[in-house]
Amino acid sequence: MKKILLLFILVSITLLASPQDTEKKIYKTILSSIFPKKSTILVWSDNPQKQKILSEIKNVKIADSEEDADILIINKSYDINATNKKIFADGYLVFKHYKDDIIGGFYWQKGRPNLIFLKKNLIDHNISLPNTLKNYIEDYD
Amino acid sequence: MKVINKIYIFITLIIFLSIGFLYHSILKIDEQTKNNIEKILISKANYISKNVDEEIKKKVEKNLFETLKNNPKLRIWLEDAFSISVTPSFKYIYILYRDKSGNYRYLLDGSKEDKGEFNQRLNVDKERWDKAYDTKEVHIIMQNNIDKLFITYLKPILFNGKVEAILAIDFSTTLLYTINNAVAPIKKIFLYIFAAIFFLLFILIYQIILNIYTKKESITDPLTQTYNRNFLRDFLKNINLSKYQIAMLDIDYFKKINDNYGHKAGDYILAQTAEIIRDSIRPKDVLVRFGGEEFLIFFYKEKDKKTDAFEISQRIRKSLQDKNFSYEGVRIKLTASLGVVLKTGHYKTIHDAIKKADERLYLAKKQGRNKVVAQDKNSLSNSNNEYVSISDVKEALDHNRIICHYQPIVNLSSSEIVKNEALVRMIAKDGNIIYPNSFLDVIHNTNIYNDMTKMVLDIVFLQIRQYKSKISINLNLSDILNTNIYQIVLEELEKNKNLANYLTIELLEYEQIDEEILQERLLHIKSFGVSIALDDFGSGYSNFSIFQTLPIDILKIDGSIIKNINTSKVAFSIVDSIILFCKRLDIEVVAEFVHSEEILNIVKDLGVENGQGFHLAKPREKMIKKL
Repeated sequence: MKKILLLFILVSITLLASPQDTEKKIYKTILSSIFPKKSTILVWSDNPQKQKILSEIKNVKIADSEEDADILIINKSYDINATNKKIFADGYLVFKHYKDDIIGGFYWQKGRPNLIFLKKNLIDHNISLPNTLKNYIEDYD
Repeated sequence: MKVINKIYIFITLIIFLSIGFLYHSILKIDEQTKNNIEKILISKANYISKNVDEEIKKKVEKNLFETLKNNPKLRIWLEDAFSISVTPSFKYIYILYRDKSGNYRYLLDGSKEDKGEFNQRLNVDKERWDKAYDTKEVHIIMQNNIDKLFITYLKPILFNGKVEAILAIDFSTTLLYTINNAVAPIKKIFLYIFAAIFFLLFILIYQIILNIYTKKESITDPLTQTYNRNFLRDFLKNINLSKYQIAMLDIDYFKKINDNYGHKAGDYILAQTAEIIRDSIRPKDVLVRFGGEEFLIFFYKEKDKKTDAFEISQRIRKSLQDKNFSYEGVRIKLTASLGVVLKTGHYKTIHDAIKKADERLYLAKKQGRNKVVAQDKNSLSNSNNEYVSISDVKEALDHNRIICHYQPIVNLSSSEIVKNEALVRMIAKDGNIIYPNSFLDVIHNTNIYNDMTKMVLDIVFLQIRQYKSKISINLNLSDILNTNIYQIVLEELEKNKNLANYLTIELLEYEQIDEEILQERLLHIKSFGVSIALDDFGSGYSNFSIFQTLPIDILKIDGSIIKNINTSKVAFSIVDSIILFCKRLDIEVVAEFVHSEEILNIVKDLGVENGQGFHLAKPREKMIKKL
């Protein structure tokens, strides 16, 4: 009886896989690629919804402040000059606005997940991405 | 009951199938509706894409990317034009081109929300977009993985036969949701029905398991874990008699175990005995606790395999004899007696076969216990005395292979033959003589038995007619009570009225008779001049009270008493008393089993008038009138 119940729950989860689950998987790939050697990645975000998604990723912890964080995932305008942290955009407009300083961005458009890494800024932060993500690196003008 | 169950199952199955069929039909309707909507939307998308294509080509003659890159105003104008076609169903209308890296980027976006910018990259299903690009044909993508999107319609935009971009129209799931919402309550109803069915099935299965468990309990003897009489009742209803051999087992002197060691010890012995029996029989055999210390075993006769209940019964008997039972430190030894029926097919009903096993068990007890008896008392001495079938007897009757042997009854004073006792015999096909104990039981309670009685009477009257000498025949008291046989006897007597006074009927079996009817019928028979004798008196159930009602002329003292008359004071006294009793009632006495000169002299001295036995004369094929 327990086995049947467990199977039922698993099937339900699979069928009900939401954009949040997809996003969680993408962020997990992004963060583990940027910090391949870190066992715990401290992330700061100004978006409470994003915090919730990120907190559910294994090896990821939400930092209390920007100073403690390994990476900042921003959704609103931010004083980029105040930090030398790695910054990742959580929306196309933010991505476009801070394209000179951020290492990349992830956003949804027309129901499709879009991921972009900015080549110049990756080099600046000395980040080398695995081959699986190489296709998402761009020289963005 | 079984038919009703089948009907219930059939109706339930029909209901389940109907519900399943209805559900399947609704799913089919749902699917067809979606397909139709899909077709309508695609057809509309064809018109829109055609208009868009025409509009672009009105404004751009060649090199779409370069023209739009250099003319932002044209881009705005075209996007505004496209946006007119955006509806709740056609959510996004946009044009992407493929860059050198193979990624897709916006040229134009007429969408009213989530709008892309010129040259902005959009992550699309490259493989399928490439297909549209390469084949230059319209391509439809079912968007199962994109939230709120139903279909993406792709139309390549060609300049001079070369694809320069792809026009994409994303259909929203709004209509789909509408359909789903309409169908959802129906689906929900079915879901509840299925849930209810599964719940009922679950309860049904639970009930079945509970029933099986309860039934098993009700048919199992808790002490011995064998089947009980409840099981036997049902088992006997469905049993194919010929497929089993039967043994009835009784623990010898079981009462003593209870008396000496207590009932708990008795229970322990019963459980252990059952265990020993179980170990000796096969899984297909059936063990039933028949009574207190009585067990009934049904040995299944497997095809092509010899099943010998006698041999297995002997093994059980020996195992019980060899076993040292130990209860609370006390060593208990016991034995058991068994009555076995091998040819069950010869019995009319299973109850007759069980009764026969019980009789043989009684015989085993009588013979000193710790024995297995598989044959009747009289057949034990005949080595070739295996049972014959009903059809064998019928065939013998049809082919006149039924004969009589005759044993003289001698007047002990004059040594003259006063009468001959007719003893029925059957001649087997191979010419062997078969004795009555091998075939009378088989045909008992059948019409063959009636035919046999008639044939014996015919043979005897023929002999009487020929020799004008007295002959006695044997009948059971129950035969006289059987109206059919009684009628046969009367008919024969009527037919041979003038010879009837030569006939003596020797009656056997004294247990449980309706003396009133018997008296009436015997008196009627006697009215023809027939003499009535009581056979084997002094053994079994015989008692003197029978003389109060039955018109007895002759009394034959049982051989088991006569044979011991020279060694047993009791036997001597019994015979003495019987003679005195008979003299007072003017009943003629015959001593059976006169097998020696010594016995002959004793019975003669006691005043017995007539005697019968091997010492006087053995049974012969032909009747004799003088010794």
